[in-house]
Amino acid sequence: MPTTTDTVPYLDISASDFAMASEAVRDARDAHWFARTNYGIAVLSYEDVSTLMKSPRMIQGSARWPQHHGVHDGLFHDWWAKNLLVLEGEDHHRIRRLANPAFSPRKIKALGGRFDELAHELIDQWIDNGEVEFVEGFAAPFATRVLCIMLGIDEKEWPTINRLASTVGAALGVNIKEEIGAIDAALEELHRYADQLISDRQQNPKDDFVTRLVDANRDGDSLSDAQLQNLLVLLIFGGMDTTRNQLGLAIQSFIRQPHQWELLAERPQELAAPAVEESLRVNPTTRWVTREVVETFQHKDLTFCPGDTVHMFTYASGTDPKVFTDPTRINLEADRKPHYAFGGGIHHCLGHFVARSDMQAALPALATRLTNLRIVAGGDEWMPDSGNTGPVRLNIAFDKRATVTANSG
Amino acid sequence: MKVWVDRNICDNHGQCAIAAPENFWLDAEGVLQYKEDFPDSDLEYIEDAMDVCPVQAIFLKGEQ
Repeated sequence: MPTTTDTVPYLDISASDFAMASEAVRDARDAHWFARTNYGIAVLSYEDVSTLMKSPRMIQGSARWPQHHGVHDGLFHDWWAKNLLVLEGEDHHRIRRLANPAFSPRKIKALGGRFDELAHELIDQWIDNGEVEFVEGFAAPFATRVLCIMLGIDEKEWPTINRLASTVGAALGVNIKEEIGAIDAALEELHRYADQLISDRQQNPKDDFVTRLVDANRDGDSLSDAQLQNLLVLLIFGGMDTTRNQLGLAIQSFIRQPHQWELLAERPQELAAPAVEESLRVNPTTRWVTREVVETFQHKDLTFCPGDTVHMFTYASGTDPKVFTDPTRINLEADRKPHYAFGGGIHHCLGHFVARSDMQAALPALATRLTNLRIVAGGDEWMPDSGNTGPVRLNIAFDKRATVTANSG
Repeated sequence: MKVWVDRNICDNHGQCAIAAPENFWLDAEGVLQYKEDFPDSDLEYIEDAMDVCPVQAIFLKGEQ
């Protein structure tokens, strides 16, 4: 593929009107496999995201995120520097090796029934109203209570956990410096929750997720209290906003394709997994994943140099027409290649089996009980379509299904 | 018992190489390589590798 730099598209990813799900990004991808941006290289095509996402010549790219935004000390700064997302090499592998067994898909699968009950309990609260603000009525309580179930926190405390996680989540926004006081205060409270859970399970082991982390041991090596604390906070930090946002994005996509929603309602068990995967592929909350080059290498017509910032565009790669037919549309019956909405390589999302399992309970529960979904005019408000996206508000109206077609459990 | 990776599913994420580095590793091109045979004492780590595989491409074959 002979190209010169003047045929390489350019995207201003900081522009206020920049959107991932846009003709500009799709045109750029169809023109060339990468684009230059005002802040690094953007990899656009499926084939190249698939290769470069897992490249051993790059590391996770956000280790210095707080410093880049003027935060040089404090609780969040120190927590971030030691969290699994930014650790590399054996420091990373050791913690991942010890933590992974607690996330075993066999263990997570056992919670599917509980996730299903939770989804129905939430739907019961508003189904007779004919409309709901979906974030507040479903996505936020569902995502947060799933975390409470995982961690063994009383589900009644979900509003507190939700508030703390959302506050700490603001650390990923460009206003981190202005909000760092509130972020550090919320993180301190989350640390207290984590410490309490750890000391409780050390004294009273249960057959649960936190006990499995506390007891994790490999050749005599185990996680220290500080590492356990850091990890539990990472789960709350990484698991809440993402799941809440992804559920809203999934509803947005299915509202555009009512026929697919009806298919899911007819065959909820069979199509639960494709419903989640297709939502992630065409409308991922994590719009890009960032890497930093650590070793010079050539890929096609581009030389990557140490220090280069590289963004893997998940939406652009997941809707690449070279790999997917009718690429921007959900097709629950199509055989699709894997998407990269959970990242990839050694930093592949740690909690993806949990996210997949809880959304595989949520979407079929919603589909089997609600039909004719539509967005109430003027009732939706969205975060910018870049970085991590999702609905701020999503007022939907619906009809109650006359009969529940099947039990999704 | 031997371990087997379905190459049609494997996406070379390398999580197995973190879980059981004696049996799985990524070569210089980032392609997964592995040994089919393993000592019984490593079964626990092989099972960790099977569990952690994001695309669930690792299987055991042979006598229990």
